[in-house]
Amino acid sequence: MRYRITHLTAYHYADAVSLSYNEVRLRPLDSDAQVCRYSRVEIDPIPNERTETTDYFGNHVDRFALQTSHDQVSVKAISEVEVKAAGKMDLGMSLPWDEAVEVLAKGGLADHLLAREFVLETPMSRPMSELREYALASFPSGRPVLEAVHDLMERIHTDFTYDPGFSTIATPLSEVLEHKRGVCQDFAHLGIACVRSMGIPARYVSGYLETLPPPGKERLVGADASHAWFSVYCPNLGWQDFDPTNCIMPSERHITVARGRDYSDVAPLKGVLFGGGENKLSVSVDVAPLLEE
Amino acid sequence: MSSPQPMMSGELCRTYVEGLGSYDEMCHRGGGVRGHWEHMIRSLEGLGPHALRERSEETRRLLRESGVSYNVYDDPKGMNRPWELDPVPLLLPSEEWSELEVSLIQRAELLNLILADLYGPRTLIRKGLIPPELIFAHSGFLRACDGVRVPGNHQLVLYAADLARGPDGHFVVMGDRTQAPSGAGYALENRTVMTRVLPSLFRDAQVHRLALFFRTQRATLASLAPPGCEDPRIVLLTPGPRNETYFEHSYLANYLGYSLVQGSDLTVRNGRVWMKSLGGLEQVDVILRRVDDNFCDPVELREDSQLGVPGLLEAARQGRVTVVNPLGSSVLENPALAAYLPALSQHLLGQPLRLPSVPTWWCGNAKSRQHVLANLRRMAIKTISRGDAATTLFGEEMSTEQLAELRGRINARPYLYCAQEAMVLSSAPALLEDRLAPRPVLLRAFLTARDDAYIVMPGGLTRIGTEEHQQVVSSQRGAVSKDTWVLASEPEQQVSLWLQTKQQPPQFDLDGALPSRAAENLYWIGRYAERAEATIRLLRGVLSNLNEVVEFGDKNHSRTLACLLRATTTLTMTAPGFVGEGAEERLDAPEPELLSLILDGQRMGSLMFNLQTMVNNAYNVRDRISADTWRVINDIEEELHKLRNTPPLTLADAQDELDALVTALSAFSGLVMESMTREHGWIFLDAGRRLERAQLTGALLRGTLANEQEQTVEYQIMEAVLVATESRITYRRRYRSQMQVKTVLDLLLLDKTNPRGMLYQLLRLQENIDRLPGERSQYDLTPEQRLILEAVTLLQLSETNRLAQVGEGEMREGLDQLLVRSSHLLESVANVLSSRFFTHMPALHQIAPTVRRT
Repeated sequence: MRYRITHLTAYHYADAVSLSYNEVRLRPLDSDAQVCRYSRVEIDPIPNERTETTDYFGNHVDRFALQTSHDQVSVKAISEVEVKAAGKMDLGMSLPWDEAVEVLAKGGLADHLLAREFVLETPMSRPMSELREYALASFPSGRPVLEAVHDLMERIHTDFTYDPGFSTIATPLSEVLEHKRGVCQDFAHLGIACVRSMGIPARYVSGYLETLPPPGKERLVGADASHAWFSVYCPNLGWQDFDPTNCIMPSERHITVARGRDYSDVAPLKGVLFGGGENKLSVSVDVAPLLEE
Repeated sequence: MSSPQPMMSGELCRTYVEGLGSYDEMCHRGGGVRGHWEHMIRSLEGLGPHALRERSEETRRLLRESGVSYNVYDDPKGMNRPWELDPVPLLLPSEEWSELEVSLIQRAELLNLILADLYGPRTLIRKGLIPPELIFAHSGFLRACDGVRVPGNHQLVLYAADLARGPDGHFVVMGDRTQAPSGAGYALENRTVMTRVLPSLFRDAQVHRLALFFRTQRATLASLAPPGCEDPRIVLLTPGPRNETYFEHSYLANYLGYSLVQGSDLTVRNGRVWMKSLGGLEQVDVILRRVDDNFCDPVELREDSQLGVPGLLEAARQGRVTVVNPLGSSVLENPALAAYLPALSQHLLGQPLRLPSVPTWWCGNAKSRQHVLANLRRMAIKTISRGDAATTLFGEEMSTEQLAELRGRINARPYLYCAQEAMVLSSAPALLEDRLAPRPVLLRAFLTARDDAYIVMPGGLTRIGTEEHQQVVSSQRGAVSKDTWVLASEPEQQVSLWLQTKQQPPQFDLDGALPSRAAENLYWIGRYAERAEATIRLLRGVLSNLNEVVEFGDKNHSRTLACLLRATTTLTMTAPGFVGEGAEERLDAPEPELLSLILDGQRMGSLMFNLQTMVNNAYNVRDRISADTWRVINDIEEELHKLRNTPPLTLADAQDELDALVTALSAFSGLVMESMTREHGWIFLDAGRRLERAQLTGALLRGTLANEQEQTVEYQIMEAVLVATESRITYRRRYRSQMQVKTVLDLLLLDKTNPRGMLYQLLRLQENIDRLPGERSQYDLTPEQRLILEAVTLLQLSETNRLAQVGEGEMREGLDQLLVRSSHLLESVANVLSSRFFTHMPALHQIAPTVRRT
């Protein structure tokens, strides 16, 4: 599938901002599963300085500084991405999870060694004994690792209620677990922490999901949103994505923007500013499918 | 060996051998003196305990007077603990040192290659030579710094190693300092003091000099500037006066000739780093940092840091500024890495590691963990990252429960822990009261990159424990320092830090570009010094009047006193005091309020507050204050310390301290007048002082003379005003005993020659303002020039006859109006100066999170 994605973020400030430095991760990366045909980031007001680099995790980063007084900023990312349909994967082919842990511990292959970075805890996905307890039910000894994770994903989908009003970016996992509520970001962090608690590498993926209009209705422009899911490393099959919010294995309708250990590695927009006071934020995302040529 | 016994039987060494445990630097196991110590011991014995104690006192005095200090966090003794130096140096023979040098250089080369790899291809991890968790779980591995490179051959530019000698006499590395090694400046200061305290001993011993090391460091830093940079500007970035080694930052900045800056002095614009100076923005090319890497840039690193420069990392990434050591280099300050260095040395250098580390086991490795857990009692246990609570736990000091708890923690996250064999440190002679005694010793050696190699400082910072057989020796734990003498086989030529080049005339850098923050600090030093001085002078006048009231008890004296007390409240801006609510009671019994005005450091406007603020401002610009002037600041601090610790209970008791403080403040202003060049720094300091004195004189006159009093009272008041303004003698000489408001105003308002008078202050302020930096047009006056011209003119156009006239309501309206107006103008001058020359940054915020989430 081909998509044109338009992601607009705008801030309006009560007081003037004299100076700001910003980091943007909004341009989709290239991978085995997708090709980013083109992408650009438009910034208003026009920045005094901007640079483009690739970060430690291989994500595109645009940085810009605004040195003249301003009371609004808008960042518009436009990209065209071609997502390949993933072949049907036989989850039963993956290594038994306990064997996978041993293989990883042995090291040997560079990919295994580097994947071990994603077993370590991070501030936003701290493992707790309750988490491991929750995860354990999906990980009986000898079960193929991806089957186990698939089961975990189904349980998260069943046990947890999608509730956009419940959490914020700062809500810790312990609360999500206690109240069994949250949004995509929380479920992704939950999945990651559970998988890691078993000694298996997992990472956070940010991106978009094409939403289908209700039958018979027109697609609404700009009504889409950012999305997040997680990815698990299996020593014999590599990385495989899981979307616990929708309980699906991402395929043609998931567009990956960036990957990292948790949300803080892939925040779409962050930075510091001098002044500003109160601010009003507006975001609109549009994921438009393009007709195949 | 030539008769070692007599040497050890001297006065100083008589009990030395009794304390011996491990390897001793001075003595053989049998008790004989090692060859390279013979001359030293003979000389020290020759001096005798008495003279040696004197040298020791002298050392302490010199260090105190130069304000050499070290901040111990959470120290009940307060900030700025004096630096302690044992006058007996650590001696190392040339041959042994050469060996050590080669080993240290090898270790620096090795660490450099590891650093370059970790922030580059990470081959060492891919190949399994370094276990992934060892790096990935370390808080110093900063992913944002990936791929950022320092130009030239070295990523690790500065390096320091903490060395100890084991029982077998071989050196081992106890720890590596790789992000912003401290101590080189203290080593240099120790050397400076030693050459003064034991000059002949130093000369005869043929000690290797340190200057060449610093010269190399200067050359190296200059060479690391971004390409195409002819005459690089280098700054030293400090976290500020509260940092433990702030003294060293200002000392080194001065010695190396760099501007000392704090994060807020720098700004990133157009992708480059600039220093906010009085003359505008000055480009910065190289930053020698003493700020921990995580704190250097709130955009990409710790977002809550107030010590950093937003955008710095990106500027470094783009190669537009060089940060030394590069951000992220604290990844090497991981004690567990030591376990892998021998193999890494073979792999990267093809050589065995020459200088071993203290035996180390990383618990992330299953076998090592088993070893550690089985031998926990005789291990020193550390976390791999230096967290907020960086402590080493000693198994032998722990209870069974504590050990069990630690075991649990290690098993839960083994990769975060490592253990070192608890080491018995070698000992070196420490000077106690009248004899030498062995104390555990640790040596920090310093290296700096040069072209394609490293050079080692011939010497280093030696620290000794304060007790026998101590296991941890660190300045944070009250260790005492020593100079380190590497004995040359032949005399060395003296090298100066400054390169003598004939081709280029020296660059004249007026003010070394004064950062705006420094200008602001100097200005406030001037203001607060003046405020403190005026407060003391007025208080002394009040005290003598108070005594007279007590002595004579007549009504007139009481009224004079009340008037002066009210003026004191107005002048110090400490209402209600003697003017507001509850004033009547305080006027009847003024002592508690007056004591509070002296002692209460929490109270704005009190003497204590003014002096504390002045001293704090001075610390912020320490690098711009001469050694002699600093000595006076030290005296002031000491007086404050005394006042805090043993506060006087009555005003009479406070008198001595007030006198001492006035003397110190006068010495301060004298030194400022006599030893500061008239550059922008001085101009701001003097402007602050003049502005404040003019304001205070105005306030005093308005508070005392604007309302007419009964004649006798007015006499007494005028007398007190003249005392408070140091003008009584002049007045007496000029006007004999004729006490008149008109003539008092002549002297205190309009006399251009009276350095305590108001017009004098305004004229001086005008001179200062005319010499301020900045563009100005040929004809138009700047706003501050306009304001000061108006104030001067206003004063010059007034006639004291009229000012002294009393109108309705027993008011001297003319005087009152003049003083109100001029005070207003001066306030405007202060505001204009502040907004034109000082930096005003609104508060720094994080951008609000953006995601609308599904």
